[in-house]
Amino acid sequence: MRDLFHGELVRITAEEPEARAKSEVRWQRDTEFHRLADGDAAQITSEKKIKEWFEKQAEQGFKPERYPFSVRTLDEDKYIGFFGLWVDLIHSVAWVGIGIGERDFWGKGYGTDMMKLCLQYAFTELCVQRVSLGLHEYNPRALRSYEKCGFRLEGRTRKDIRREGRRTDTLWMGILREEWEALQK
Amino acid sequence: MNDVFTGKLVRLSAFDPEEMSKAFTRWNLNSEYVRLLSSSAQPMQSAKSAAKWMEKEIEEMSPANYFFSIRTLAEDKLIGGLGLDVVNWPGRDAFVGLGIGETDYWSKGYGTDVMNVLLRFAFTEINLRRVTLTVFEYNPRAVRSYEKAGFRHEGHLRNYLNREGRRWNELYMGILREEWIELNNHAPSAAEDGG
Repeated sequence: MRDLFHGELVRITAEEPEARAKSEVRWQRDTEFHRLADGDAAQITSEKKIKEWFEKQAEQGFKPERYPFSVRTLDEDKYIGFFGLWVDLIHSVAWVGIGIGERDFWGKGYGTDMMKLCLQYAFTELCVQRVSLGLHEYNPRALRSYEKCGFRLEGRTRKDIRREGRRTDTLWMGILREEWEALQK
Repeated sequence: MNDVFTGKLVRLSAFDPEEMSKAFTRWNLNSEYVRLLSSSAQPMQSAKSAAKWMEKEIEEMSPANYFFSIRTLAEDKLIGGLGLDVVNWPGRDAFVGLGIGETDYWSKGYGTDVMNVLLRFAFTEINLRRVTLTVFEYNPRAVRSYEKAGFRHEGHLRNYLNREGRRWNELYMGILREEWIELNNHAPSAAEDGG
């Protein structure tokens, strides 16, 4: 069986609440990152509070509908980002959220490598039938990466997000199990 | 499909800890029932203690655990309880446990009807691929009932149980979605593979 936790550029880990908070506190304050990754309004949370939030999550323990992962580079073992899978157990569908907080690692193939590991986990371990995601129309770098991984554009919610006085669309993409399997050949 | 929870003799209904704990405590005064249901020695619990335990279990429910009360269609009488525990989501397999505490309703087809309703729920609503159960070798009535519902013998743990000075086997039985579909001549749409 394949190695689920190592890609070509990154490996999957679980980081401790303290380490996650240390990085998250910086990533949260990077407005460009925040606007690419999220739809909510920017906010500023203390490292202490962020750490508490991660600790509370840790206390909740394992829930079969949620699989969070942290990502480190193989090269220098640097903690650069995360991805999480939210599973609809009844319908066997997973939603993915992914982000690289360390901007030095944008545009170099790290995201695509992360997403490939994510899809491999979703299809061969969680055994879902499809994986879905949403992204902003103003994030073409992500769109290209997801397309490379096999995602297809399925729809858009028009004028969904309002920022800097402009309204932009949210794009929805999905990849089916058969499509992913075909790509593996 | 009018009501996935209704069978020919019984219906599944909401699991209410207060009602269930009282019935539970009464049923557990019957050692024959207790020994057919539980593999290890069960302490006698007060209704209060049972209620507290049930409330905690319900809190940790769904998406992995389902608890139901079993009521007769004829008189709406509470006769037992049923639990479904999805232990393996990627494999889409669940453990089922059921007990009919009202002994007047033994050997009359009620158990088989409950299991049929449960399997329909498991395969057409939760979209499982298989259902597993364990049953004791000294419970032939239950074994026959499960066989009627479509379960097949898959194995057993030897000398697992220790009662009355001797050892007994715990039997493992299972039913696959394809087998259930064939047994029930179900509509093709239920046979579509979606995991």
